[in-house]
Amino acid sequence: MRIIGPDYLVFGVDDLEGSKTYLEDFGLTPVQLDETGWLYETLDGTGVIIRHRDDPRLPVPLQTKNMLRQQVYGVEDAATLDAIEAEMSKDRRVTRLSDGGLEFRDDLGFELRFQVTIRRELSMPAEKINAPGAPAQRAANELGVTDDMAALPRTLSHVVLFVPDIDKMVSFFCDRLGFVITDVLSGAGPFLRPAANDDHHTHFFIRTPAYMQGCEHLAFHMGGPTELMVAGDRFVRKGYQSFWGPGRHKFGSNWFWYFNSPLGCHFEYDADMDKHDDTWVAREAPNGPEASQMFLLQWREKWAPGGGPEGGSGTP
Amino acid sequence: MSAGQLRLCHRDDVPEGAARGFLPRPGAARNVIVVKREGRLHGYIDSCPHYRGGTPMAWRRDAYLNGDGTHLACHAHGALFDIETGACVSGPCLGRKLTRVPLSEAPDGSISVPAQVAGRAAREG
Ligand code: FES
Ligand SMILES: [Fe+2]
Repeated sequence: MRIIGPDYLVFGVDDLEGSKTYLEDFGLTPVQLDETGWLYETLDGTGVIIRHRDDPRLPVPLQTKNMLRQQVYGVEDAATLDAIEAEMSKDRRVTRLSDGGLEFRDDLGFELRFQVTIRRELSMPAEKINAPGAPAQRAANELGVTDDMAALPRTLSHVVLFVPDIDKMVSFFCDRLGFVITDVLSGAGPFLRPAANDDHHTHFFIRTPAYMQGCEHLAFHMGGPTELMVAGDRFVRKGYQSFWGPGRHKFGSNWFWYFNSPLGCHFEYDADMDKHDDTWVAREAPNGPEASQMFLLQWREKWAPGGGPEGGSGTP
Repeated sequence: MSAGQLRLCHRDDVPEGAARGFLPRPGAARNVIVVKREGRLHGYIDSCPHYRGGTPMAWRRDAYLNGDGTHLACHAHGALFDIETGACVSGPCLGRKLTRVPLSEAPDGSISVPAQVAGRAAREG
């Protein structure tokens, strides 16, 4: 099944104005969908849809207070939608929407929607670096950083879910929808990617009690580690709360920086994730600080050493 | 303000029904949250008990309440805490509590906390 990954995540929030400000400051572009709904999109059109939690246009909430209402997945073609419909109709109600999309519920009660992907093809350079021994990636006089450099989320990368039953989730996504496990953090859960996406993961599941079921975080791919640092630094300076990072994960190799949000889950900037094909053999490591990151850093105010004891520009 | 106390703010710096975060000392790892409910001030360390060591709870500077303003909230995973008791009433840390900080009010309305709170805030970081 040619599933690509999340097109949109839909949230029913209790602070609509706060959420709108947050998503725009995070670097997403608002698109008003109707009188009560907004899409905040990345450069390729994927993103987050928000409405007030009492909005009748929203899918039903989870049993928990988690604000995630629906995961919308993009697939390559109509044939994939037909295949998903045939498979899912075996044991659940599937709604065929007027636009050809499909809606149904997974085995744990998460609301899903599948559609021919809305993502626009991006054509922009990755972060370029120069290193001895390799051809320079930046031409002479081409600068690596500028004060006004763009650092915007390019695409919705992955979603991480708190799930009370990992085995059920894995068999649903792998056996029924053709995802594969790329790596496993034992004690937490597996990383998954769908057939039509070579990213290390579009999904990670974390085992939790049922009263925590919901979205733990969603992540957005940036153009490289520098863009991630620049975006995160700008976000902190606007008053937002860093939760974890910046750092670099081991599984997936992606750089990460997580922030708290008024949507009741974390928002992550990520960059430079590994790519895999079907020859890859999943690794396993016990979940914990050692396995989950190569290194972990923490933001601080800008500071620079000065000329001498009397010339210092601030406290170290 | 007596010795061994650190001044956080003036009582009027926190409007009725609102919460704000104040560093007990410059460079302290954690804020003290001051929340005003029916004229009474409550203080808690800005440290969600979901994970060991605790993590900061706001989603933006001073944004410690849920959207309806009924509870203190951790905006990492949406835990809700009773404003008067600090007890988690919903979310991942159900059954646990925020660490309460005793607030002292001087005649001029200055609000302060015991100096050891800065050390506690540092350890939580
Ligand atoms: S860290 Fe506060 S709810 Fe998870
Ligand atoms: Fe992530």
